[in-house]
Amino acid sequence: MSEISNCVRRLRFEHSEMTQEELAGRVGVTRQTIIAIESGKYTPSLGLAFRIARTFNRGIEDIFTWEDESSG
Amino acid sequence: MNAEQKRAWFIVIVFAVCVVLYAALAPFIGARAATGAFGLFGFWGLAGFIGRREKPDERDISILRKATMLGFAASYLIFVLGLMSVWFAAFMFHGRSQVSVHVLPAIVGLGAITHYLVRAVATLVGYRLHVEADDV
Repeated sequence: MSEISNCVRRLRFEHSEMTQEELAGRVGVTRQTIIAIESGKYTPSLGLAFRIARTFNRGIEDIFTWEDESSG
Repeated sequence: MNAEQKRAWFIVIVFAVCVVLYAALAPFIGARAATGAFGLFGFWGLAGFIGRREKPDERDISILRKATMLGFAASYLIFVLGLMSVWFAAFMFHGRSQVSVHVLPAIVGLGAITHYLVRAVATLVGYRLHVEADDV
């Protein structure tokens, strides 16, 4: 699993229960990629992370959190 | 399942059919004649027509890039090991510089098959594993 966690799934539901397909279409990737991001199996590029953040009108760090091992 | 996965499965299935056909024919027509079964690898050329309208996204490209790198590494290993082994075997065991006409096409063919097969398997595995967008 990735050391970068995210709350994309929760935000989709908070935004009128947006479907994975709809989010995928808005940010220009496939639904499979959204599923992989939500499950932590894929860490998106910075560009994609920005597009997802803009879709939800949030900053990147509101959505993606880096689990810093040294701080634990 | 996206287009890349379908293509990878197509390559793996064609490979499996070739191996099964070879194993089925070899006892009846001999191992050398049964090698003709591997001509079915030609169907790999059709893989490019599968889902060609689907546009890959950054995750697909990342997986494909890694799979292609693995396929190239494996095939290059086969080429170099195979070709150097021919020299070794020819001079060490036969003391001459001639080798059978079958040897070089076999090494080249094996290298190409290895590339496509490893790439296909790595693609299928890549979609199951954690993949970073580190190089996109």
